[in-house]
This record gives sequence, structure tokens and C-alpha cells, in this order.
Amino acid sequence: MLRQVLLPADVGAAVSTLAGDPTAVLVAGGTLVMPAVNTTVTPIETLVSTRDLGLAGVAVERGIARVGAATTLTALGNHPDLGFLRPTVASFASPIIRNLATVGGNLFASQPYGDLAVALLALDATAEIAGPDGPREAPVSEVLEQRVRPGEIVAAVRFALPAAGTWRWTKAMRRRLNSAAIVAVAAVVETDGGVVSAARIALGGAGSRPVRARAVEAALLGKPLDEASVTAAASLALSEAEPFSDAYASAWYRGRVLPVHIRRALLGA
Amino acid sequence: MRSQVINLTVNGTERELLAKPGTTLLGALRDGLGLTAAKRGCAQGGCGACTVVVNGAAVPSCLIPVEVADGATVETLEGMASGQHLTPLQQAFVDGFATQCGFCTSGMLMSASALLAENPAPTRDEVAVAISGNVCRCTGYAAIIDAILDAADRTRAVGSAAAD
Repeated sequence: MLRQVLLPADVGAAVSTLAGDPTAVLVAGGTLVMPAVNTTVTPIETLVSTRDLGLAGVAVERGIARVGAATTLTALGNHPDLGFLRPTVASFASPIIRNLATVGGNLFASQPYGDLAVALLALDATAEIAGPDGPREAPVSEVLEQRVRPGEIVAAVRFALPAAGTWRWTKAMRRRLNSAAIVAVAAVVETDGGVVSAARIALGGAGSRPVRARAVEAALLGKPLDEASVTAAASLALSEAEPFSDAYASAWYRGRVLPVHIRRALLGA
Repeated sequence: MRSQVINLTVNGTERELLAKPGTTLLGALRDGLGLTAAKRGCAQGGCGACTVVVNGAAVPSCLIPVEVADGATVETLEGMASGQHLTPLQQAFVDGFATQCGFCTSGMLMSASALLAENPAPTRDEVAVAISGNVCRCTGYAAIIDAILDAADRTRAVGSAAAD
């Protein structure tokens, strides 16, 4: 049962509270934590709000974006220097949820929620983490696999802006708007001389957390970005994916359509 | 488990209330201040019936611990009309029969007013996107979208008449 809601004035104070109280949970937009508080019996006794921690904001310098963890999805999607992400973010939830949900919070959502985590994995983003033992950095992939240690807070994520025309995003939904992913595919695919020179592909709806499609990436290297090679590579996705069943789709269906949506993401058709 | 004094500017008026931990902004508005236009629907941010405008952004008020909203400016449907005088948006909902059971209406109106404040001439698709977090289980979406577009037309007509 909730006993207090704290609004620490700086990250250090938030970290001390979280480190010293196992019943304390960090809350940013509230879209993950508050449904649990409102509708279930939770062990959460203390909420630690990010409101006054100064963790919101986007800065883009020399091709590197640094996005504060408390930046809302709305602010992320509207940022003039992150135009490539605008249609991607527009496919997440609804405007009223994007006005609350944050970049950092997305790293702690279970699939099929947390679309942005899929995108950040494909962008090979780095998380800046504050904690009781001081600041550290970790790849977003590691945060998605291992979460963070007790008392730690993801303060920001950083990623290099993908070269023009290399960003890909496809999200299969039950409805056109405001629906969780059946599957989501995020990718940065670079070509050189007509063949794929680098590829990072991340999948949503293909496991409890976003996963990289490394076999697909490897199969694409050195191949032309055409239907034959993409179809062949995409067929390898199931070797690394663990599609699951929920109210949106069955595991069978997710597995069946995953290669299709990888192809659509990479070729637009 | 100590209650806390919360200050909110609600519909232009400074309000003060005492809230227990676990009180959401929605609970504070409804049970603390008696403002019941925002509806308690799913309590998970999934239905939009509790949508209010906080510091200019339409948000589900059930997802905000009220302590986090302390000091915020909150607009609810109660503050939309001036007395008996409906806004063009409200009048368009009445004229277009854009309510059925009415449970989603206040949330729809708050999402729509936030949209029109930012984008006075939205396309049909932009309207659909703006209300995509507001569920109408009577499925009266077409009339609601028509009414919001109608309201945008009415507001522009009033604006251009005033300019003349």
C-alpha cells in the first residue's frame, strides 16, 4: 500500500531514497506504475517522482542525440532535430499517453509495450545511469536484458543520428491508431555500392523484451537490399525470436507475420 | 501515511486540498474538489474518460499522483463554458449529436480542445489521432470527429467575422 509520494529535488536524493527503501519505485510518466497502484495490491510503499530531477530535454550536437530520461514521447517526437523519429513515435500509443510516457520508462516496459525501447535498441543507444556507486554507462541492450541495479536511475540515453534514409520502422497493429504492437521492426540499414554494408535490426513482439535479429543482420551483409535477399534473411528471424500470445495476437500469428514485417520495414513493401 | 496539502490552479482558480498518498489527480478533482466531469473509467490510462489538460497538455488524470501535480495548472470540462454560454466546440457536440451515453464526452472535449488550441484547422485524420486515446464504447466516433471539425470551422468563422 502506498504510504508516500516523494519529489526529490535532485538525482542524488532520489538515488539515496531508492537505494535505501526496497518498497520505493521511481515514477516518471506513471503509465506503467500507476495502473498497478490504482488497480492491484502492490508492494510499492513509496513513489519517487522524477518531476524535479531535471531529466527532461533533448540536445543534438555533432550528430549525437542526448535525450533525458524524463523527456516525454511527445517532446521526443516533436523535436526538430529528430525528424526521422517523428512517424515512429506517432505510432506509439495515443497523444494523451505520449504526453505522459517517458523515454526512460520505455526501457522498463514489457513487450508488446515499450515500442521506443525497440527503436533505441536498433539505434544502439547508450544509457547514462546514476546510482549509489556513482554514474555509469551501459548499452541500452544491457539495460533491457538486466534492467538496472537497486537504487539506480537511467538519467538519459544517447545515440548517433542514423544517416539520411537509413532509418526503418514498421509496427503491425490491430487498429491503425493506439494499439500495442503485434510485431514491431526497427532498423538502421546502410548500403554501399548497392549492397548492405551495415545493419542493426531490432524486433518488438518477439520476446518479453526487444531483441536484435542478429542472424537476419548477418545474412544481409554484402547482399543487395532487394526482395530476394531480404526475404531470405528475414526467414531467419524466428531462430532468435520467442513470439508470445496475448490479447493482441497469438504466438503462432506473431511468428508467421514477423518475416513479412521485416521485409516491409526494409523494403517498404 | 501522511496526507499532504496540494495546491492546484483549476479552471483559473487557485484551489487547495488535502490528499492521502495514492490519490490521483482524478481522485483529487472528483472527490476532493467535487469536479466530476472527468470520469473514472479504467484507472489505467486506457480509456481517456478522465482526460484533463495539465499545463497545456491533455493527459489521463488517473495516471498522475496528485502530489506530482502540485502547483500545476489544470483545466477540466467544468471550466470550458462561461456560465450558460457554450464554446463552439461544446455547441458543435450538441448540434451534431456527438454524444450517446456521454461517459466519454468530457474526455473527448478535453482532447479536442487541446488539439484545437494547438492546431485550429486540423484535418480529419489529425482529429482521429487526437482522440485516439479516448475510447467511445458506443462507437460514435464519426459524429465526434464531425463535431470537432465543425467546431474548428465555427471558430474560424467567428475569427474571420471578428477580423472584418
